[in-house]
Amino acid sequence: MLTVSGLKKSYGKLDVLKDINVEIGEGEVVCVIGPSGSGKSTMLRCLNMLELPDGGRIELHGKEVFGEGRPKGLDVLRREVGMVFQSFNLFPHMTARENVSIAQTKVRGRKKKEADSRSAELLAKVGLEEKLDEYPDRLSGGQQQRVAIARALAMDPEVMLFDEVTSALDPELVKGVLDVMKELAESGMTMVVVTHEMNFAREVSDRVIFMDQGYIVEEGKPEEVLGNPSQERTKKFLGLVLAR
Amino acid sequence: MEVFFDTYFDFSFMAEHFDEVLAGFWVTIKLSVVGGFFALIWGLMLSVLRQLPGKWLAPVRGLTIAYIDALRGIPLLLVILGLSAGLATLASEGTIPREIGIPQWFGESDPFWYGVIALTLTYGAYMAEVYRAGIEAVPRGQTEASRSLGMSHGQAMRFVIIPQAVRKVIPPLLNDFIALMKDTALISVLGLVETVQTGSDLYSEFFNPSGYTLGAFLFLIVTIPLARLVDWQIKKQDEKFQRGIP
Repeated sequence: MLTVSGLKKSYGKLDVLKDINVEIGEGEVVCVIGPSGSGKSTMLRCLNMLELPDGGRIELHGKEVFGEGRPKGLDVLRREVGMVFQSFNLFPHMTARENVSIAQTKVRGRKKKEADSRSAELLAKVGLEEKLDEYPDRLSGGQQQRVAIARALAMDPEVMLFDEVTSALDPELVKGVLDVMKELAESGMTMVVVTHEMNFAREVSDRVIFMDQGYIVEEGKPEEVLGNPSQERTKKFLGLVLAR
Repeated sequence: MEVFFDTYFDFSFMAEHFDEVLAGFWVTIKLSVVGGFFALIWGLMLSVLRQLPGKWLAPVRGLTIAYIDALRGIPLLLVILGLSAGLATLASEGTIPREIGIPQWFGESDPFWYGVIALTLTYGAYMAEVYRAGIEAVPRGQTEASRSLGMSHGQAMRFVIIPQAVRKVIPPLLNDFIALMKDTALISVLGLVETVQTGSDLYSEFFNPSGYTLGAFLFLIVTIPLARLVDWQIKKQDEKFQRGIP
């Protein structure tokens, strides 16, 4: 449903993405791993064009949303693609519920009441039914991240992008967030997850992509890529990560 | 020392002319509030124009920056004199309607409105910079989160960025308001009888500068509490910051 071909991105002379080709199927959970600076976050951010690619094509449901060097139907794309960030990025001047409701009313055009009840429902789903009226500064990092997930889900996206969403969390809060993501994966959501959580990648994903230096070096089933990698660079990276 | 006190602190003179100075100060207050109000709005508009996205709007951004640079770099006195002279000339030539060239709206005199316009033009530029600093102080992730939810640039500004920026800019805007209030004194050059002009009139008539002193007192009664309010606001924000709120 999401097709990326020949994606390129550079900052000045630094080529961050060199030639990315990837196809994400409906309901598929794809984990993207790789050393820092490999371009995995940039690729994810290109998928909803928080970074504008320099070249290549992106199609959503066969409809071109990026091509010939420019975005097409940017608002449609962003509405269908939800994103969760490493640093949560909740709106600090709004309660948890308002955070989840705001785009529903302003972008989706839902009535406030309808949006609020949907928000309550989603916040309950991520285990925060008691925090509806709390401001973000009264929530732990893990709780904030779960609000952020609910906020993205409220738009009923077709794809969810997760950009190292547990990297800024204290260790004891990671599990709560991963559990929510696991549940989401089991419910059939299409997900692209940039992560350092190898156990999550192994247990939850349908496919693992290993990136290095702006290329996709290797991809395949998690047990293959993580258990028996074919590429030297993948082996080296996993050796360093799994040795901990 | 005695002479100094007799000259500047002639309390019986102050009591005698209190009503006149107070009337002048009332004009100062009106000028500050009306001018400050419009400067606040004009400044916000300028800062929004300055941050419009996309390459097609680059000329708008360029013009806005040029305007802000120009008005921040020109003395307010020059703006007051140039503006009043220009508008009055255009009106007397019939190029623009008299109601605009020599404005006497809502029962206020034309120097009053020249003053309001000049303060708006100049302080709008100062305040635009304050707003800009406030907008830029909102973390980039806030814009990204808004846009990733499908909000347009305008929606992100209106619902997410500006509400946060406004909180950050209250103290510096209050500072600008104090400066604006003091600068209303410059409009006395157009013959507007505000606080300073009242003191000046009293001095020429009675050769007693205590009218100035009384005017200064009246200013301080308003400006010192405002300055304390600024400190209090900053302190409140610092405390929030220390609790770890972005």
